[in-house]
Amino acid sequence: MKSAYKVLAYLIAALVVVQSAAMVFAVAGLGIWVEEGGVLDAATMESEPTFTGALGFMIHGMNGMMLIPLVAVALLVVSFFAKVPGGVRNAAVVLGLVVLQVALGLFGHENAYIGMLHGVNALVLFAAALFSGRAAAKADSMAAPRTAATV
Amino acid sequence: MSRSRLRLLLACLAALAIVIPLAWMWQASLVPATYSVMDMGTLDYGGGPEPAAGAMDHGSSGDMGDMGDMGDMDMAGMEHGATTSVADLVTKADGPPDVAVDLVAAQGEVTLASGRKVPGYTLNGTSPGPQIDARQGDLVEVTVRNESVTDGMTLHWHGVDVPNADDGVAGVTQDAVAVGEEHTYRFVAEQAGTYWYHSHQVSHEQVIGGLFGALVVHPARGSRNAADSDTVEAMAVAHTYSGTRTLNGEEGDVPFVAEPGQRVRVRVVNTDNGPTQVWAGGPYVVRAVDGYDLVEPTPVTDRSVTLTGGARLDIEVAVPDDGSAVRLHVGGATALVLGPEGSVAPEVTQPTEKLDLLSYGSPADLPFDVSDPDRTFDYDIGRRPGFLDGRPGLWWTVNGKMFPDVPMYVVREGDVVVMRIHNGTSEDHPMHLHGHHAVVLSRDGVAATGSPWWVDSLAVDPDETYEIAFVADNPGLWMDHCHNLPHAKEGLVAHLMYEGVDTPYRVGGALENQPE
Repeated sequence: MKSAYKVLAYLIAALVVVQSAAMVFAVAGLGIWVEEGGVLDAATMESEPTFTGALGFMIHGMNGMMLIPLVAVALLVVSFFAKVPGGVRNAAVVLGLVVLQVALGLFGHENAYIGMLHGVNALVLFAAALFSGRAAAKADSMAAPRTAATV
Repeated sequence: MSRSRLRLLLACLAALAIVIPLAWMWQASLVPATYSVMDMGTLDYGGGPEPAAGAMDHGSSGDMGDMGDMGDMDMAGMEHGATTSVADLVTKADGPPDVAVDLVAAQGEVTLASGRKVPGYTLNGTSPGPQIDARQGDLVEVTVRNESVTDGMTLHWHGVDVPNADDGVAGVTQDAVAVGEEHTYRFVAEQAGTYWYHSHQVSHEQVIGGLFGALVVHPARGSRNAADSDTVEAMAVAHTYSGTRTLNGEEGDVPFVAEPGQRVRVRVVNTDNGPTQVWAGGPYVVRAVDGYDLVEPTPVTDRSVTLTGGARLDIEVAVPDDGSAVRLHVGGATALVLGPEGSVAPEVTQPTEKLDLLSYGSPADLPFDVSDPDRTFDYDIGRRPGFLDGRPGLWWTVNGKMFPDVPMYVVREGDVVVMRIHNGTSEDHPMHLHGHHAVVLSRDGVAATGSPWWVDSLAVDPDETYEIAFVADNPGLWMDHCHNLPHAKEGLVAHLMYEGVDTPYRVGGALENQPE
């Protein structure tokens, strides 16, 4: 269970990396497309434009609103069994940050400054997921020799 | 009990405390493979009278949360008699049609005017499909054959208040037309104006894929409007094919040849999901919105006008006298360039101000009294996380509840209905009511002071509240949904139901009816 905890926590950190990569991929592609004469308005946004990078918006939305929350819930459930010191607390913090991140992402559509916080919170979430994973890895490595000794 | 066992027990309980509510929510959100929209949602009488027991074929008295039992409920409903089937709500006009059109729907590639091919759908080999022209009062008969649209297809007459049986909504007013089959639509074009038609089967894919065309109902000969013969007409059907903006299928500047000094009425149709802005290089007049002429509209300068998804605007512009052309922009990427052959029009940037139709034109009497409506409904749009048919995500809500637990607005023929539409989300929603035109009464508590503003597709921006009114004069079962069609797919869809009307059609099932 400790390894499951570790894998899920690191997975969240990796998915946050995907999120930031997807977003810059999309925005860069959008910029190039506009430079080349593409015109953006709501009707274009809603029609799933086909420029290189447009896929990034879709990946960001699906990954952020479905996949990461699901993994964060799974991490919390696993934390109950994993016996990682502070593991439940860490997993709860990660899930809380995920919920906050989704909310900031949505409200960013109403207020660009909230979008800025979304960017900041992404790094906080990344760090929290990494920290949780490392704590589990540490507990795992400490537990491993003891298990070996009893055999 | 040992300490480790207690710990394991606590862990199990904590895990179940998280998993069980999630699993329950997931299970409760599952929509059965086939269901009748009659059984959907919570009946909302809007403060009007409720029908006697048995007169309505709604599955239960309310909550459709446990959709798993729906099949049984519908069987129970079928025992009630005394209902009119939507299939029988057809036009009373008989005899040969004045306008007869045969269409063939196909799936494959759309060839844009530039020669570029994109995956999509065509009608008679083209997209947009053939324009259908009729005169006011004409009986229109359109037969569509599905050659190769694998999901099946239908045709919905967007903005035309057709009889319910001809509304073209798969699973609600008909079954989707499968490959090799055909379907005939018949209706009288009663209201002159600009309309369009499109598939209402898997509409979030088929419409953006190109399964649509324009429909123009010209004023009857000898009518006051028809006498205005010194104005010529042009079309500007806006559509985005795989990210490419087009007007009438063409990209960029689309020329329209007209004499110097000529006045041109441009019928602009937004077939896209999102709103766009329309503006001109000179003064323009908004003659009509959603097929209804405005009263005494005045020339507009330095302002753009919003054209929301599914909506239409008839815009009159004058070609300059000096031999140059005038530009009518529909979004930044495309423009109709109206002028003599070979003439050029100066570039014109998008105005920062927008025209407010709430105070545009002159007021006039409404054909019905809105001071004491028979029913008042709320259509409050929200958004929250949850499961939609088992899929986790952020989904739209109507009056706080997620699809399929959305309101079923119940009316009786002849009712004056007021509907308050509030958008509590961060995205705009082009709200489209089938089968009726509603007049805008107010926005955010500010009463309309301009020309009566009739709509079938109304842009409701974030945090806005519109109050609209209509007369329930077209019995049937009508969709009332967001015309940003992916939003409808994400649950932003409700229905307006007349007392005593029932539908034999079902969403899902072997015919795979999927209206959204």
